[in-house]
Amino acid sequence: MLKRYFAAITILATLSQAKAEEWVVPADKAKKVSPFAFTPESKKAGEALYKANCMSCHGMPGKNNAIPLVPPPPDLAGTVAQSLEDGEFFYKITEGRGPMPSFKNSLSANDIWNIISYLRSFNDKYVQEVARKITREGITEGNIQILFKLIKENKQLQAEVMNTTAEGKKPIEGAAVKLFAKRYFGNLPIDEERETDASGMVAFDFPKDLPGDSTGMVHLSAKLVDEDAFGEVKSDTVFAIGAPTCKPALNEQRAMWNVVQKAPLWILFTYTIGVLTIWGIIFYILLQIRKIYILGKNKEILGE
Amino acid sequence: MIKENENLERIAKEIMRPVGLSKNFILWMSFLGVILAASLVAYAIQLQNGLTVTGMRDYVSWGMYIANFVFFVATSLVGMLITSVLGLTGISWIKPIGRIAEIIAVAFAAVAGLVIVSDMGRPDRLINVFMYGRIQSPIIWDVTVVITYLTLSTLLYFLPLIPDLAIAKTRMDHCPVWLQKLYEILSVKWGHTTEQYKIMLKSVRILMVVIVPTAFAIHTVTSWLFASTLRVGWDSTIFGPYFLTGAFVAGSAAVVIAMYVFRSSYKLEKYITAFHFDKMGKLLVLTMLVYLYFNINEYLVPAYKMKAADAKHLHELFVGSHAFLFWSVQLCGLIIPIILLIFKPFRKPVPMLILSIVILIGAWFKRLIIVVPTMEEPFLPKQHVPHEFMVYTPTVIESMITIGTIVMAIMIISILSKLFPVIPIWEMAEEAENESEHKLNE
Repeated sequence: MLKRYFAAITILATLSQAKAEEWVVPADKAKKVSPFAFTPESKKAGEALYKANCMSCHGMPGKNNAIPLVPPPPDLAGTVAQSLEDGEFFYKITEGRGPMPSFKNSLSANDIWNIISYLRSFNDKYVQEVARKITREGITEGNIQILFKLIKENKQLQAEVMNTTAEGKKPIEGAAVKLFAKRYFGNLPIDEERETDASGMVAFDFPKDLPGDSTGMVHLSAKLVDEDAFGEVKSDTVFAIGAPTCKPALNEQRAMWNVVQKAPLWILFTYTIGVLTIWGIIFYILLQIRKIYILGKNKEILGE
Repeated sequence: MIKENENLERIAKEIMRPVGLSKNFILWMSFLGVILAASLVAYAIQLQNGLTVTGMRDYVSWGMYIANFVFFVATSLVGMLITSVLGLTGISWIKPIGRIAEIIAVAFAAVAGLVIVSDMGRPDRLINVFMYGRIQSPIIWDVTVVITYLTLSTLLYFLPLIPDLAIAKTRMDHCPVWLQKLYEILSVKWGHTTEQYKIMLKSVRILMVVIVPTAFAIHTVTSWLFASTLRVGWDSTIFGPYFLTGAFVAGSAAVVIAMYVFRSSYKLEKYITAFHFDKMGKLLVLTMLVYLYFNINEYLVPAYKMKAADAKHLHELFVGSHAFLFWSVQLCGLIIPIILLIFKPFRKPVPMLILSIVILIGAWFKRLIIVVPTMEEPFLPKQHVPHEFMVYTPTVIESMITIGTIVMAIMIISILSKLFPVIPIWEMAEEAENESEHKLNE
């Protein structure tokens, strides 16, 4: 009786959980399509990215060897995953939910499309729909660059977005720029997303207490948000805008995991005393054998 | 002090009779030599191709070799149990078998060091252990204690042998000249003086005391190689005593086998008697009961709690893929011998021999059951690997190398027991002297 009761509870709990798990992608996002056609190259690039970022949970596509998490990470070559629209795929990878992390800040749109390209290679029935190239005036050609300038007194970081064409340098106006500080795992957004002014300038405020390295250096990375319009534009730099973090190195103090010169004193002491004692005794015994020998030799001489 | 009389004459003659190179011995050594050569070929293949020729892969990176290492260290511990623990408590029946126990200790401790090297894909890097070893690592402790224990055991074998060498050197006309010379050198001018006896006996006593903590250290450290890692089945606080008590079982069984072989092939029935087998049988029951007690602790406590990771491991042992081996080892290597050896008829030489062989084989597989199933159950899921990574299957080459190490130990035992008396002549003569004096007094 009790068993049945628990079974019913379990089933109910599972059902309600399953319902809560439905992950609906907003209609406009679901319509998004890749800006480029999937090619063997994009598939190959996607495979490398997949192995580095996705495989640890989802397993190899088609092999059904995801790790047993709750909820279970689906096999992305499976029918359920493959029935998703490209845009739905893109949205889920970008935003993430629950145990599925958001890759917004660590992978570029191109990267994510490459991964989708790789996943689609497991689906024979898939026919790709490519976005028509959206272009804005004046940026179809040239080389877009983000240049940094640090204004120390205002605690501000300025970035200038310029397009270099055959005719010379021209600022880009109205482009949304995002700034990140590089951390150990992924990128930390700094300030808000900002748009460039008429001179192509944009300014970010940065917090005073942003942890930097031992000299306060912070690795920064800025990128243009609208990748559809500008392509992938990003720029990296290093500025001393952070608070110096002078945490003592983990291997500074004596510890079990440290090198032998920094072993805990008690273990150095115990080991050395132990070894010296026993080997001292061994040495003493060897001397005793020598003594036996000398006694025997003396006896021999006396006997003769 | 021993006196030159007919007692000594008779005992020395009987014990020295098998000493020297006989045809049978050379045949026996050639037989072992052939097996050793085959295992050396296997080792050459391993050296050339690396550990990939074994069944070990990323997950199960400790297999038969480490199990074999633990077995060797375990078996060598019996020297301490018999000569020191029983010797210091004044138990006199161990006198004729004490040296056998020491021979086993020396042989197994010496080969244990080599067994560890067999587990190295790049043995040339062994030197790094000495150059860059960290004393925080149980591996360094292990290297230290194995070397120390081997040295102490050798001394404990050698010191009581000195008077025998001196007694024997005048009674070995049947032996080759080089052996006579070796006796001359090793007997360090022993002249049976009171002073020399005093020094020898004092040194032996010191060694007997010092070897107790060293022997405890050697096997406790071996157990810490496992217990200091956070793995299911190894993450245990009783691993030290669990290994130690298991060692006494394996070692005692090995001593019984050696006793039987020496007694029948060297015609030493007068010295190693049914009485000694009976006593060793009782010692085996005692050691096995203690070991069984630790086994119950080791498996029942985690099985009662059934932590998720433990549960999988224990399931594999109790009813899963390792169940056959697990229950065979527990039943044949422990429970059945305990029950049988309680009854006197089973403590006679022949049943003792058979049971000891079963116990010793069980002890070897018991180490495998400690090492491998845990390695097959890592905490992180096993993914994206071929089947051979998931389960461990030892290869022929690996087995050959392991057999080679066992052959090596048997060879050392054979050589030591063939070139030197296996039973202490002077102690036997002393006993005989005491007995006849006792009779006179009556």
